[in-house]
Amino acid sequence: LLSAPRWLRSRLTDRFWRVQEVLKYARHFRGRKNRCYKLAVGSVRRAFVKSTKARREKKRFLRALWITRIEAASLEHGLKYSAFISNLLKSQVELNRKVIADLAIYEPKTFKSLAALAQRRRQEGFLAALGDGKEPEGIFSRIVRHL
Amino acid sequence: RYVRQLQRLQLLFSPTAADARGARQFVEEAALDFARQHPDVVLYVSPRSGRAPVLLAEYLNGTVREELIASKTSEEIVQLATKLAGQSGLDIIRIRKPFHTDNPSIQGQWHPLTNKPSALTVQGPHLQPQ
Repeated sequence: LLSAPRWLRSRLTDRFWRVQEVLKYARHFRGRKNRCYKLAVGSVRRAFVKSTKARREKKRFLRALWITRIEAASLEHGLKYSAFISNLLKSQVELNRKVIADLAIYEPKTFKSLAALAQRRRQEGFLAALGDGKEPEGIFSRIVRHL
Repeated sequence: RYVRQLQRLQLLFSPTAADARGARQFVEEAALDFARQHPDVVLYVSPRSGRAPVLLAEYLNGTVREELIASKTSEEIVQLATKLAGQSGLDIIRIRKPFHTDNPSIQGQWHPLTNKPSALTVQGPHLQPQ
C-alpha cells in the first residue's frame, strides 16, 4: 500500500500534535518559552534535566528542614539539637528526624517528654563521667539488647 | 468484600473498517469469555460505522476512559480490557504523598504559645479589692 512513489508524495500531516507534545510541558513557563516551539524545546529539556537532578537535592533539603525544626523545638525546652539527638540515640530511641519533626509540630507534649528523656540521660552521662565514685549507674543509661 | 470499580465497558467499532478487525475478532471469540470471567462488569457491544474503534470504560466514581483499539489484535484487546477492569476510576497522576490523615494532630497542633507559661494566656479570676 505504501510503496516508494506514494511515500515520496505524502505530506507531514500531524505536525500540530508533535508540537503540542512538547508545548504541553511548557504551558506554565514565563515569556515566549510557553508559546514558541523553538524556544520551548530547549527550555523543556532543561526543565526535565533539572527535575531529575533535583530529586537527589530534595532529600538533603528536607533533612536540613527537619533539623532546623527539631533545633527550634528543642531550644524551647532548653536543649540544643546536638545534645538532644546524641542523648536520644544513647537511650536507644531510634527515631528519624522526619518523625521527630512531625511529633514536634503535631504532638508537642510527646516532644516535651522526649526532650525530658534526653535531658535526664545527659545528666546521667555527666554523673558517670565526672562523679567516678560509688554512685549507682543511671537508670536511663541501661542498654537493653532486643533479639 | 471486593467491589469492582469498573461499571461498564462499551465496545464501539465499525463492521467494515480495516482497523477494527481486532475488535471484530474479539467480539466473535473472546468477548463471551471475558464477560463470564467478570460477572460484575456490563459489556455493551455496539457496531457503528464511520467511527474509530474505541473501548469506553466507565467507573463508579464517574470517570470515563477512552482507549483506542485500532489495529490491535484480539489478545491485546483482552489484555487491555483486563487492565481496565482492575483499575479504579481515580485520575492517573502523580500522588504527592502516600499517606493522608483527616486528624493529623491529637495533642493539639503547636502554636507559638504552647510552651510558654500559662500566665500569658489565662486570665485569672477578677479579685475584688478588700
